[in-house]
Amino acid sequence: MDVERAFRFGRAGHLVGIAGLPPAAQDVGVIVLNAGLVHRIGPFRLHVELTRRLNACGYPSVRFDLSTLGDSGASSASESRVQQVRADIADAMTLLREQAGCTRFVLVGLCSGAENAHRAAATEAGVAGAIFLDGYAYRTVGFEVRRYLPLLLNPARVGRLLARRLRVSGWPAAAPSFSVAHPPRRQVRDELADMLDRGLKLYFIYSGGTNRYLNHRRQFRECFGRLAVHPGVEVERLEETDHTYILTGDRDMLLGRIEQWMDRHFPLSSRPSP
Amino acid sequence: MTADAETDVPFHFGADAELFGLYHPVATPATKAVLLCPPLGQDLIRCHRLYRQLAQALAAAGLPVLRFDYYGSGDSAGRSAELHWTRCLDDIVSAATELRARSGCGRVLAFGARMGGSAAIASAASAGLAALVLWDPIVDGAAHVAQLDAMQDSLQHDTRRFLKPRTVAAIANQWLGFDVSGELRRQLLALHIEPSSVPTWVVDSNGWPTWKAFGASHATTIALHTRTPWDDPGRLELAIQSHELIRIANDLLQGA
Repeated sequence: MDVERAFRFGRAGHLVGIAGLPPAAQDVGVIVLNAGLVHRIGPFRLHVELTRRLNACGYPSVRFDLSTLGDSGASSASESRVQQVRADIADAMTLLREQAGCTRFVLVGLCSGAENAHRAAATEAGVAGAIFLDGYAYRTVGFEVRRYLPLLLNPARVGRLLARRLRVSGWPAAAPSFSVAHPPRRQVRDELADMLDRGLKLYFIYSGGTNRYLNHRRQFRECFGRLAVHPGVEVERLEETDHTYILTGDRDMLLGRIEQWMDRHFPLSSRPSP
Repeated sequence: MTADAETDVPFHFGADAELFGLYHPVATPATKAVLLCPPLGQDLIRCHRLYRQLAQALAAAGLPVLRFDYYGSGDSAGRSAELHWTRCLDDIVSAATELRARSGCGRVLAFGARMGGSAAIASAASAGLAALVLWDPIVDGAAHVAQLDAMQDSLQHDTRRFLKPRTVAAIANQWLGFDVSGELRRQLLALHIEPSSVPTWVVDSNGWPTWKAFGASHATTIALHTRTPWDDPGRLELAIQSHELIRIANDLLQGA
């Protein structure tokens, strides 16, 4: 393959990843983080499709396995998981800096990947943007009103909801758990505000799979107040999709949104020839 | 597992370096090596961890191992819609050649789960595979297609996954997260795996009757104690794990 190269890299040579290296050097590189325990190709190969699409636009990228996930081992350093993740992402930035000349980085993460992207974006100076797929959000009064008011107005739906709950509760061993332990809302809001003060561009995309804690795009403003109208923030809710984008049409839509956002906020210095 | 023990090497190989592989070398020269043939589609993702654990166990026992992805799957080149059965078989031949070159071993054994097992049987002669260990291989392609179609159809009204039912068009021409070409569908519909003449062990975790009709004279069947939930829609995104399978496959491949 002329664009992708496999690497073992990192401070202890313990990380495995695939770098996409378009011919022209670029200032901005994209780093895609594991979604849950799925190895670097992503759910249904989402990360492969995403990185190749961005590579075709001209953006260098790396999709890799964090310490102890996928094909990566652990460094011998004594580190907490949070320290480990931050150091792994710093290692990925070093790889793209060495291989593609990148100096600024956009992190992309789904679910726990969004949580890890947030942690790194909060502390790593090289991070210029982040795309949070089903990242942090918190239930609000508006969430509860939107959820329960329609039920009060239509009692038949209460029965359907209860039946659905019973079906789901009878399925606990089989149902994949997508829950992420969220830190306090105020902490997240302060960290996001700090990222925006540092000039980061932030893209929040929520799937229909977040419906247990987010049920409308405006809920982002209910959660984080004026941050929602900051020019560095964009928020989308793709209600029809599921959490891991199992349908290929949904994935195409998601990748199209990400490509357009990248073009708006991180236009390339030179584009590949058609 | 520390970095010192992590000597497996990620690389690309084959024509135009289109295939991704991960080679697990050993410290001392070996006389045989093991090729791990991945399953297809979501099974590949669900089995990734298990394949890695099996490769590490085999390498620790002195057998060099190559894991790889078919064209159109995993980290290999190609779109998911470009995955074709005949190309999978060609890729096994390329991978076996690569493993021989890297390990210095002329004798290559193969392991495969589900369609990876089917592909290992179908390519045993062309890839020169000396023995096979197969885990719940698919022998009836048409039945497998029907199963995949049924699971895909069930997504349309899956209210645990989607807030609203999806259209027929939205779920068409896919199997559980991956685009499927008409060519792959036709190839699998026509697929009927015949026994290989090389020594074969079948590790059966579901008690499927198909194995009774499949070359009992060539294959030794070993039953797993725990059923593997391959086709349970509720576990579609959960990893397949089986320490028993790893132990059995490791023992069989070391003894083969």
